[in-house]
Amino acid sequence: MPPSKLKSIYLSLIIAFVFLLLPWSGFALKIRPDFILLAIIFWLIRAPNLCNVGTAWFLGLFVDLATGGIFGQFALAYTITAFFAVTYQRRLVLFNHTQQLFYVFLLLMISQIVLLIIKTFSGADALGWSYFLPSILGVLLWRVAVIFGLNTGGRSRGT
Amino acid sequence: MALRFNHRLEQQSAPAFFVRGPSPLARLAFFSALSLALMAADSRFEYLNSVRQNLQALLHPLQLLANAPSRLYRDTTEYFSTHEYLLSENRKLKQNALKQAVELQKLNTLELENNNLRQLLQTNKSIVETSVAAEIMHVGRDLFTKKIIVNRGASHNIAAGEAVVDATGVIGQVTRIYPLSSEVTLITDKSLAIPIQVERNGLRAIAFGHGRDNTLDLPYLPTNVDIQRGDKLVTSGIDGVYPAGLAVATVSQIEITPDSPFARIICVPTGGVENHKQVLLVSIPHAVAPVETEIITLIKPDAKNKKSEIKPIPIKPIVAKPEMTKPAAIKVEPAKPKLASETKPILATPPNNTSKPHAAE
Repeated sequence: MPPSKLKSIYLSLIIAFVFLLLPWSGFALKIRPDFILLAIIFWLIRAPNLCNVGTAWFLGLFVDLATGGIFGQFALAYTITAFFAVTYQRRLVLFNHTQQLFYVFLLLMISQIVLLIIKTFSGADALGWSYFLPSILGVLLWRVAVIFGLNTGGRSRGT
Repeated sequence: MALRFNHRLEQQSAPAFFVRGPSPLARLAFFSALSLALMAADSRFEYLNSVRQNLQALLHPLQLLANAPSRLYRDTTEYFSTHEYLLSENRKLKQNALKQAVELQKLNTLELENNNLRQLLQTNKSIVETSVAAEIMHVGRDLFTKKIIVNRGASHNIAAGEAVVDATGVIGQVTRIYPLSSEVTLITDKSLAIPIQVERNGLRAIAFGHGRDNTLDLPYLPTNVDIQRGDKLVTSGIDGVYPAGLAVATVSQIEITPDSPFARIICVPTGGVENHKQVLLVSIPHAVAPVETEIITLIKPDAKNKKSEIKPIPIKPIVAKPEMTKPAAIKVEPAKPKLASETKPILATPPNNTSKPHAAE
């Protein structure tokens, strides 16, 4: 495995984590996209031999730590999301950018829905439809990254 | 030989891209089970508190790194704040200090008087609380809960269960301790309850956080309860967590619907739950015992009187009457049985958790 790629994986995940730790508050907190999950999905698509369900689980634990919720809820959400991402990874490479965007959106929603279910079980109130705003913003972020030249493995429409 | 070599070459030729170890489904099953086990261990048995503390210490440098930009911004804006602004602020602060010094003098004499009175009544001394100033590091990252993280933790002798207060009122309670920081659950969180008293008539109740829009609820109060819009709610101090008499909230809305036996009362917290940067962490040492004994000594004679008196006074729920203006400790003669019935429910609410926060994860 190329060590340079491994290094960039770690670096990107750490940067995503620092983004999570930024002092978000108010409306920004409400729409904050899940940077770490985006990074994980990117690497699951690009380097499935280096980044796997276990990586997602491990990072989920750290997110649990940072958010201060019940230990293991983000871990479970990320694990399930990573499973779907890995299962359809080979097909994903054939998608064009729009299809890929839709797919990433579904993945982000899966993680949020899993979290919502866990939270509901532990007695939290529903937050309304605005709860899913982070997924939409996450997808927009993905699109922006693609526009700025991030190679997510998708094909542009012409080719 | 050549065939075998060929075969081996073929086996090796699979690039690393396709080598993936156990199937995703197996991994999913394994890690899901692991996280479910973790969740159970954390929420049901609370085994993982020490693990969490240690890992949190590991995260602290990253946290500092993430806080650096906003801190830098604040520092630079402070540095470039104008001379005039500083002067006016200084003037304001001096005025405040003067006013507070006068009030403090009054407080000293009042405290002496209070102690004397308590000695006369032969009750326990009022509790002296200690406080530690802290700064809010960031707001909690979980949308479902109302929490803040402050920069004082186990290494500053903070304990879980301490009350958190700012200049204008109660903010919340310390629920989790990390080595260098601690987590404060705000009073607007759904899982936090705070015993309060209406300032106007001394009616006691328990306020619950609403969870979503920074308000508090006063549930389980009957529709004919004596609460008005604009009533101030203060801490009653019965729980032994919050010092008595701190502002908590103001009643903003009362809804009485015919289909519900309870009034729906919505209150807005007085403390700057989302605004301020500095807070005080207040701890009350050994608060439970004196509070309990006080109440019991007060109830006992009441109970006796109740027996000797005519019985048919029904035990009412907590219905406010304008005469109940004073806290239970001072009240002597009228309506004794009612007093007993009032105090009972409050004793029934568990006062035993001074070290344990009200909030349950």
